[in-house]
Amino acid sequence: MQAVYAILIAGVLVGMTVLLTVLNKKTPVPEGCENLGPDCHACGIVNCAMRQNQTEGNKND
Amino acid sequence: MSTKKEKKSFGSELIYNNPVFGLYLGICSALAITTSINNAIGMGVAVIVVLTMSNIVISLIAPITPDEIHIPVYIVIIASLVTIVGMLMQAFTPQLYSALGAFIDLIVVNCIILGRAEAYAQSHNVAESAKDGLMMGLSYTLSILAMSFIRELLGKGTISFTNPLTNTEVFNLQIIPEKFVIPLFTTQTGAFITFAVLAAFVTWFKYTNDEKAEKIKAEALQKEKEAQHA
Amino acid sequence: MNLFTIFISAMLINNIILSKFLGICPFMGVSTKLSSAIGMGIAVIFVIFGASIFSWLLYYYVLEPLGLTYMRLICFILLIASFVQFTEMFIKKTSPSLYKSLGIYLPLITTNCAVLYVALDNITQGYNFVETMVNSVGVPAGFMLMLVIFATIRERLDGADVPRPFQGNPIAFIVAAIMAIAFSAFAGLV
Repeated sequence: MQAVYAILIAGVLVGMTVLLTVLNKKTPVPEGCENLGPDCHACGIVNCAMRQNQTEGNKND
Repeated sequence: MSTKKEKKSFGSELIYNNPVFGLYLGICSALAITTSINNAIGMGVAVIVVLTMSNIVISLIAPITPDEIHIPVYIVIIASLVTIVGMLMQAFTPQLYSALGAFIDLIVVNCIILGRAEAYAQSHNVAESAKDGLMMGLSYTLSILAMSFIRELLGKGTISFTNPLTNTEVFNLQIIPEKFVIPLFTTQTGAFITFAVLAAFVTWFKYTNDEKAEKIKAEALQKEKEAQHA
Repeated sequence: MNLFTIFISAMLINNIILSKFLGICPFMGVSTKLSSAIGMGIAVIFVIFGASIFSWLLYYYVLEPLGLTYMRLICFILLIASFVQFTEMFIKKTSPSLYKSLGIYLPLITTNCAVLYVALDNITQGYNFVETMVNSVGVPAGFMLMLVIFATIRERLDGADVPRPFQGNPIAFIVAAIMAIAFSAFAGLV
């Protein structure tokens, strides 16, 4: 019975995260905020979305 | 430098693409648990296991994961693996587990693991991903080992290793007499200073190597020009 | 322990950056400008406060009665991820001006180890609900304090003549080391 609860809780949480991620992606960014980028260059989080945008932007320059 | 075709030795690769001092990945745990060599080895092994396993699993499931939800899926996989490793450590190496404290749990948010999953494992096959996980984990371990070696030697004057399974001392050498140790190095300040110096060393190594490579290139170009003139 | 002691020790004595070494990535990356340091700080306070409260409720009202406490890591990290996504969506819809100043920092927070640490720490310390709330404000307040102090120092540091290998991050770590010495004086406060 415990295993069922465990799977149920994990499933609900994963579902919630996925739902919110998808909803968030669908929500349009408000006007004037499309090209916002933080001025971070030292951070090591390679997978960070901001950083990827930034490096792509730099390549285009 | 990664575009360079020629194969580099493991040593120079370790310094060039060092995850901790070069790319600043997983700094949090590197600073916190390097007070003794024992802790560094324990943390390093845990990271190697989690990283290799997560790379393997993620390379297997990446083709069937929709792109929008890949982050939550990877997080669940990594969190499950960390929970398993934490439970095993709690059972077999309780002293080590309590010494590392919350930092075993915090492997979940260690930038190296998710970073490698996204940058490598999801676009490579199982064998390559496993090898990548092993190599990255190894260079992480060697980096924190170097840091813990410096901090333990200067802070306590000893080099010691305790078998975490049986909790018996393997060796414990007093290199620097106790009167001359600098206890500052076992504190937070020592962690920051050691890290800064090692990071600066890595940067310095890159600069000098790049300059050397450029010099050799320039010389070769010069020779070619001379040969053309003649 | 009274609430004031918890707050002071979370903010100053056990400062999350200087004594726990957590959240170093954003600390090194964002804290180069005062305005972004403040934006990031407020975003972190909000996310840590919200995520910790939800984690506490989930742990004591769902996981513990069912005997599933070993699932706390998976549950907390998912909770944090969804909370960050929800916050970002909410701000996008309701307040574009707020999004302009805070929105860009929200995606950076999911992988911030400080958030998970506070959620886990509230459980291991055995805090009750009110203590959890106080601790969850104190820790990120200490984080923001450090970000702001550090941003002002780094604005001056840009003009300093630093040896080449130490430029950028290494010198920032040296500054952090000196600040750790200063903050160690707070240890006698409680």
